[in-house]
Amino acid sequence: MEEYPEELRTPPVSLVALFGYSDLHASITKHLHSQQPPINALAFPDLSHLSLLLAHDDQISRTSSFRDPLSVSDSSSPDPSRCGGILKRDWLLKHRTKVPALVAAFFPSHHIFGDPTQWLQVCSDLDSLKSVIRPKNIKLVVIVVQSSPQEEISEDRLVALRKRAELDSKYVLFFNSSIDSELTLSLSRIASAFAELALAYYREEGRRIKSRIEKRSSNSLDLNVRYCFKVAVYAEFRRDWGEALKFYEDAYHSLHEMIGTSTRLPAIQRLVEIKTIAEQLHFKISTLLLHGGKLIEAVTWFHQHKASYEKVVGSTDFIFLHWEWMSRQFLVFAELLETSSATVQSFSSLNQGTAEISLTEFEFYPAYYYQLAAHYLKDKKSALELLLSMSETAREIDSSSESITPSVYVGQFAQLLEKGEAFTLHSITDEEYTCYTISEAKRFQDSFEIIAWLKKSYESFTNLKARRMAALCAFELAREYFGLADPSNAKFFFDIAANLYRQEGWVTLLWEVLGYLRECSRNLGAFKDFVELSLEMVALPVTSYDDSGNLGNRKYGPGGPATISGRESIHREVFTLVGCEAELRSSTRESGFTLPSDSPLHLEIDLVSPLRPVLLASVSFHEQMIKPGASCSITVSLLSHLPLPVEIDNLEVQFNQSKCNFVVRNSQRPLWASASNTLPSVSQVENEPSLVLVPNNWLRLTYAIKSEQSGKLECLSVLAKLGPLFTICSRAESPAAMEELPVWKHENCVESLPIKDPVLAVFGQKATQVEEPEPQVDVSLGASGPALVGEDFTMPIAVTSKGHAIYSGELKINLVDVGGGGLFSPREAEPFSLESHHVEICGINGAEGNDESESETGNIKKIQQSFGLVSVPDLKEGESWSCKLEIRWHRAKPVMLFVSLGYLPHGSEANAQKVHIHKSLQIEGKMPLFISNRFMLPFRRDHLLLNRIKPAPDSEDTSSLPLNEKSVLVVSAKNCTEIALRLVSMSIELDDEQGETSCSIQQSRGCGDDSGSASLAPGEEYKKVFTVIPTMKTPKLGLGSVHLKWRRQGGNTTEACVSTKHKLPDVNVEASPLVMSLNCPPYAILGEPFTYAVRICNQTQLLQEAKFALADAQSFVLSGSHSNTVSVLPKSEHVLSYKLVPLTCGQQQLPKITLTSVRYSAEFQPSAVASSVFVFPSAPQANKANSTAR
Amino acid sequence: MIVCVAVVGHQNNPLYIQSFTEADDALKLHHIVHCSLDVIDERVNNPKKSGTTLNEAFLGLLYPTLNYKVYGYLTNTKVKFIMVTTDLDVRDTDVRSFFRKFHAAYVDAVSNPFHVPGKKITSRTFAESVSNIVRSYTFN
Repeated sequence: MEEYPEELRTPPVSLVALFGYSDLHASITKHLHSQQPPINALAFPDLSHLSLLLAHDDQISRTSSFRDPLSVSDSSSPDPSRCGGILKRDWLLKHRTKVPALVAAFFPSHHIFGDPTQWLQVCSDLDSLKSVIRPKNIKLVVIVVQSSPQEEISEDRLVALRKRAELDSKYVLFFNSSIDSELTLSLSRIASAFAELALAYYREEGRRIKSRIEKRSSNSLDLNVRYCFKVAVYAEFRRDWGEALKFYEDAYHSLHEMIGTSTRLPAIQRLVEIKTIAEQLHFKISTLLLHGGKLIEAVTWFHQHKASYEKVVGSTDFIFLHWEWMSRQFLVFAELLETSSATVQSFSSLNQGTAEISLTEFEFYPAYYYQLAAHYLKDKKSALELLLSMSETAREIDSSSESITPSVYVGQFAQLLEKGEAFTLHSITDEEYTCYTISEAKRFQDSFEIIAWLKKSYESFTNLKARRMAALCAFELAREYFGLADPSNAKFFFDIAANLYRQEGWVTLLWEVLGYLRECSRNLGAFKDFVELSLEMVALPVTSYDDSGNLGNRKYGPGGPATISGRESIHREVFTLVGCEAELRSSTRESGFTLPSDSPLHLEIDLVSPLRPVLLASVSFHEQMIKPGASCSITVSLLSHLPLPVEIDNLEVQFNQSKCNFVVRNSQRPLWASASNTLPSVSQVENEPSLVLVPNNWLRLTYAIKSEQSGKLECLSVLAKLGPLFTICSRAESPAAMEELPVWKHENCVESLPIKDPVLAVFGQKATQVEEPEPQVDVSLGASGPALVGEDFTMPIAVTSKGHAIYSGELKINLVDVGGGGLFSPREAEPFSLESHHVEICGINGAEGNDESESETGNIKKIQQSFGLVSVPDLKEGESWSCKLEIRWHRAKPVMLFVSLGYLPHGSEANAQKVHIHKSLQIEGKMPLFISNRFMLPFRRDHLLLNRIKPAPDSEDTSSLPLNEKSVLVVSAKNCTEIALRLVSMSIELDDEQGETSCSIQQSRGCGDDSGSASLAPGEEYKKVFTVIPTMKTPKLGLGSVHLKWRRQGGNTTEACVSTKHKLPDVNVEASPLVMSLNCPPYAILGEPFTYAVRICNQTQLLQEAKFALADAQSFVLSGSHSNTVSVLPKSEHVLSYKLVPLTCGQQQLPKITLTSVRYSAEFQPSAVASSVFVFPSAPQANKANSTAR
Repeated sequence: MIVCVAVVGHQNNPLYIQSFTEADDALKLHHIVHCSLDVIDERVNNPKKSGTTLNEAFLGLLYPTLNYKVYGYLTNTKVKFIMVTTDLDVRDTDVRSFFRKFHAAYVDAVSNPFHVPGKKITSRTFAESVSNIVRSYTFN
């Protein structure tokens, strides 16, 4: 775009000329520039410089024979326009910079309104000015410069001035610079007058030319084009873009008609002229369209332009001119698109309005055009090269034709001849012209342009995420660099393309790129790269057989055609290069490499390497676990996609345990001296009769290996030696996790399994686990029996060496809840607090005498609730060590105890592996004693407890006790374990002070052992009786808790007692309104009467009515009332007294009394036990004696 | 004249590519086919931006390049068909019917129980039917 003249590239700006008052020019020019649209100004100090304006015009008009016939007079002027042209080169420039639309003449006011002589001078100046500008229709403005606003103005003179200047009053302006406000006013007045007049000028000029078109004054297409162009330019001056576009298009179409019809110039030059003008017109049209935001129209226009001139090739000998022209079209359009990219809107309207030519996404990106510009320039370059190589004359052309220059017409060239002082332009023949263009073309370095455009295109496509387009650009770019013998740059871009093709498996394209890359590395002297690239090429899935020898290699890259024979020939070339003997290689200079004779070549192939098809190593262990020292089979399978068989000298299989590495030797090959040196650590060498990799066939090798070291044994890599100096190291892969080869996976060929065993082929792993050696140490857990809640359960742990010494032993102890749910209850508020653990490890006591050594050596001893870590001192063979683990249960719960011992059997070497022994034991935690309690009221003394009749809703289970009455509490403890326990003491402790004041509990004397000490066999129950006297009326009386102290029977008596607490339930204490007591002798004697009394005691302040009914009994004769209602006075007692005579012996039921309290509607019957008595046949003697003795 | 047809798989890998020119410009056609995948990507990924509605398999003109026009077609299994022609004035309906026939031939080829999906199509019958279809179409 830069090669176009400035005036063509920018929109035209109106031009005015200022005369006189040069000190005002600066401010006026500045103001005009700032106008929208701006106006350019030519400034002349005074009217005497009027000739300058004329002079320009003269000079210009001299060359233009057609327009101003008056000025064609100078015979000395060269006349190259003998045959004419379409557009003149400087016409636009002239209108942009020389021919003003209007002239502004500045006169001081005192010249006009003052002295008559000065007025006359003004008049003559005006006349001369008018004589110059009238023929050209240039407008005139007269500006009267006032020195102060108060200046006197003579109306007559003003009218005279207008008349003289033939001006409308609005074009005679006053200018006053003395006051700022006036100045700005004057300036804006001037600017608007100028804009108006300039517009009028350009409109009139345009109309004038347009009338010529309409008149069809000449049938010549040349003139038509020219007129259209001018009208369009004038329209542009007026910023009438629509008209400008229309006339540019008219000019363009007329021009297109001239192809083939014009005969004015020699054929080649004629076409060149037309194309050059078409290019300019196209440029103008595209610019206007793009500036108007009509992107789709612009692109469509470009396509039409391209389509209409694509076939206008001209002379096929000089086709490079056409390619150059085409290239320029694309480049210019690309640049235009790029600069106007701000206006590029979304392509939403795409493919809709444009029915006949549907546009695609990429046609809106400059990158597309840059790429094609580069493509055409490449065509030009090759056409030019062909031309130069074909014709002798063309090659000899140098810059002899210097004197040829562009002529005055656009797109024409002429020879500049020196005739004495003057230079004349002569038209030239086609031969001269082609000579000139060839010499010009030779001077240019097209490659740099091509590279620059392709780079732009590449970057732009990369930004658009069009990776494949970018890759193509990179490829073209690299080819250009390659052509320039710049292999490092070429390599960079070839690599970009190669990566994409590799990824997407475009084999033919990849082959091509790799062919170039191979040459690049050859030129760079990178031997390793060369071999790698060659091998990659060779291993590509190229399966085409057709050997296109007849087509020649012209169209192929340096890699040759992608065929099987091509692969084979490269294969042979590479393997001769790498496989030969050291001495031979140094002499193979034709490959282009100079190498030190003993430099080894080592290729690494990992999982992402493109060289994976060259050597694919699949390794599978037959066992998932092996014993240390036992042998295990391992299968190494190798696959190569090279087209020809390859013989391997030896194969080294490497493991993570380097002791296991082994070598497979091809016994047909001599043992290389160097090879044995490089493998010092290998203990295992296998021999194979032949190691040949046949294309696409797995080479399967199975061997046995042993490992002494426990842990993971993994095969890392397989290293194949293919000659004295060439090794390929391929990463080992598991058959189970083997990925397909990216370029081969889409090939439709038969796939075989790496291992014959189908299970291994699917699940085989390249790693196996070597087990630990058998531990020769015994860990025994000494106790098993159920643990009792509350006690410190001791678990002796004994470590006994049976063949292994123990070094840096560590004992890990873990308690795990068997039932699940953890060792603490989720209901506890703080789950990790000490109490929350139902089972915890309390301590670990080392064996006696070991404590000091432990502290000395600073060994670890960590204990947490469920985890413990103890270090075991070093033990020699046969020694043993023990410790005691104390575990406490807070709840009855079974737990699993895990004990694991880790030790080093052979001293504390750094890399030695620990041996582990695991032991586990489930331990049951049990409640030792079941504690229960029972309340008993005094015998034959019954209280009316209202709570029993009508229980409160929330006190269903609580037992009620009468207030201030002695009740009996029986506490029993039952041994529910399977071992005998020794009960040391049992006591009740009240909770707090309040409890002590509210009731008194006493151990009842005379029943059982005072100390409470007793031994309990399994299942046996121990009971103890307490008396309770509640002294406070409360619905909830805390009775404290039972404290039991016990230990295991027969155990160590020094052992601390375990204390178990059992909380007694709360009781309800209430005052009873009525108390009924039965009075009866302890026994009766047959036939002897006794008194049976029922006492009803009213403890309230109210009168109580009580009904009673007495039933007869068979065994007794009874006297007294059977039924009645009695009233018991407050706080008094009523006694119902009966006389009974027993009639039969034995345990007899007394007459049953039923008492009903009317007030509480409660009926009471004494229990059967309470209302029975034993009747002796006669008075018991012994008892009597005993009782008398007492 | 149709100069090249191609079947492109899910990973943008060529499954079948055949050129029908006398001149030895297969490589150039491969490049063109490969680059047109960018346009397909763009159309499929940004259907809004490119204004096309993807409710049919035919993708239309992908891009014009030098002397060729490239058309695309996307099957419902996301396999892409690409056709390169030298004819400049092509009617969409013709291209559509071409692709329909081509699609039928492709379906026949991959319905072969011995064909592994995702592998290159090496069937000779497919090649023959494709060349028959190609020969029967000259767009102007």
